Amino acid sequence: MDRPIAYDKLAREERFVRMRAREVAELKVAQGLPPFPDLSSGESIKERVHGIMVGELQAMEGAGRSVCDFPDAPWDFTMDMARQVWDESRHVEIYLRLLEHLDGYAGEYPETTILWRCACAEDAAARVAGVNRGLEGLACDVFNQLVHIARKIGDPILERAVDFVLADEITHVRMGSKWLTKLTEGDAERRRKAIEFQESIDERFNLGGVRREGDHEAVSISIATDVRRMAGFTEEEIERLIKTTQRSQVY
Amino acid sequence: MPEPLEGTFSADHSARLLRNYRYVVERTMRAIGGWIALTPELSAKLLMGRHVWDLAQHCDAFGQRLPELRSRAQVSEAANPAVATFMDSIEDAEAADQTVERLVGVYGVLKPHLLATYRDHLARANPVYEPPTRRILARCIDDEERHIAAGETILRYLAAGPRVTERVSARRRHLEGLLAAAGGVTGAGLPPRAAPEIVVARAELSDDAQEFIRLEKATGAWPIPPDLEKAQRSFADAFVAGDDAGLSRLLAPGLELEATAWALLRGTSYSHHVTVAFARLGHQRLVKTRLDGPSSSATVLARWTSSPEGWRIAALDVVGRDAVRPA
Repeated sequence: MDRPIAYDKLAREERFVRMRAREVAELKVAQGLPPFPDLSSGESIKERVHGIMVGELQAMEGAGRSVCDFPDAPWDFTMDMARQVWDESRHVEIYLRLLEHLDGYAGEYPETTILWRCACAEDAAARVAGVNRGLEGLACDVFNQLVHIARKIGDPILERAVDFVLADEITHVRMGSKWLTKLTEGDAERRRKAIEFQESIDERFNLGGVRREGDHEAVSISIATDVRRMAGFTEEEIERLIKTTQRSQVY
Repeated sequence: MPEPLEGTFSADHSARLLRNYRYVVERTMRAIGGWIALTPELSAKLLMGRHVWDLAQHCDAFGQRLPELRSRAQVSEAANPAVATFMDSIEDAEAADQTVERLVGVYGVLKPHLLATYRDHLARANPVYEPPTRRILARCIDDEERHIAAGETILRYLAAGPRVTERVSARRRHLEGLLAAAGGVTGAGLPPRAAPEIVVARAELSDDAQEFIRLEKATGAWPIPPDLEKAQRSFADAFVAGDDAGLSRLLAPGLELEATAWALLRGTSYSHHVTVAFARLGHQRLVKTRLDGPSSSATVLARWTSSPEGWRIAALDVVGRDAVRPA
């Protein structure tokens, strides 16, 4: 088997339209719309849920590749990645059904593949830092806010389903923290590169200031500081993330 | 009546069998983990996604039992080189259009054999001094029964049609030949497929293949506005007819036909078209069209924008040539 595979090998049914994230954002801004769905309307909630669904799909594919690509990694690492595949496959099903609940369908919005690209990092430590800590950390922010909005608009189906997915994501961040430490034990340079990779992802997903510290209803994506603490992020890391969101201007 | 103390296996032999099982299960787990990204069909993706974790737990259980049988923990061992060759062949179906081959290998050949092997082992493992192994086997049997049923359901769905059926048969014959040459995963010969039934409680574990298929087919009809649908049909008809003027009329001001996918595909013969995707991008709409001809196919993506004159194409790109079809 090819290990790892080129990122352009990601296979999709024809009903999905794949586009660069930057292009999607630019085309929306050119139409006078926010670059990222802001949860201010039913339509934007549906678009956000669709974005999460394809993110879960790519997270399942990425964790699956980690099971495949690192046969020499510690056995417990493979176990954690295999568990994550199972979780993500259930999340895909949950979000597909939530899309139906919101009168949407798979393929209704373009798919961007930033998450998948991160999941193609060649080093296992970089992969868990980038995907499990960077992207699943972002998922904690997004899901925490979605639970709040669902409660506010009186949608118990959305609220309950996303609440359980959020619990899994916290577990995945913890796995990422554990394996970032274990895989880089005694190798400061590898650890530095992995953290640098995670920070580049954090920066990218600040989405030009879309993710910020603030009230759920005041910002497009609010940083879930309490949830992040629960997931094992240190105060220093949370502080640094908040600071980077303040200077992040480029989508 | 007490259980007989007479046993079939030595501890060393039992450990070897577990290492043999672990070898094929570990390779299968890693393969299907890797295949999820290479498989276009959602139903098959979800199926594999559900089963990676079960297989990891089987490996782990075999691996943890090994030190209890005076063997090193978490070690895999091929029974013989022919088993490795068989697994290489299972793994080699990596192309995007080989989903059916992947499913046949794992769900049509390997897993039924594993199930028969586990049942045979369980039937012969002594109930007085092998309960730890028996418990592991009972769990694996329960999971494998479920996996095979789900896998066969997805396979039947994806392999409908005579050409695919022939691919299934050819793949099955090839792999069954290799498995027989290896003497099965233990190298000791193939156990009968109809080994004694073991009654195990069936848990609700949500790998419902019918639901995966429903989710794959759930899109139904796209909500394309009638005026856009008409414009899209005119566009696709003009593309198939090679009608430059007809296509030009549908372009938004400022977009030249030569700067679109048309310049790349002009001169290729297409006989029909089908809309394969419809997406929203703000107020604009994205329509993906597959053009099929006698010798090739292409997929184009049009970004439509609404104007006082009607829907017009703001961008037109080629997104695939001779695209992979489902299954």
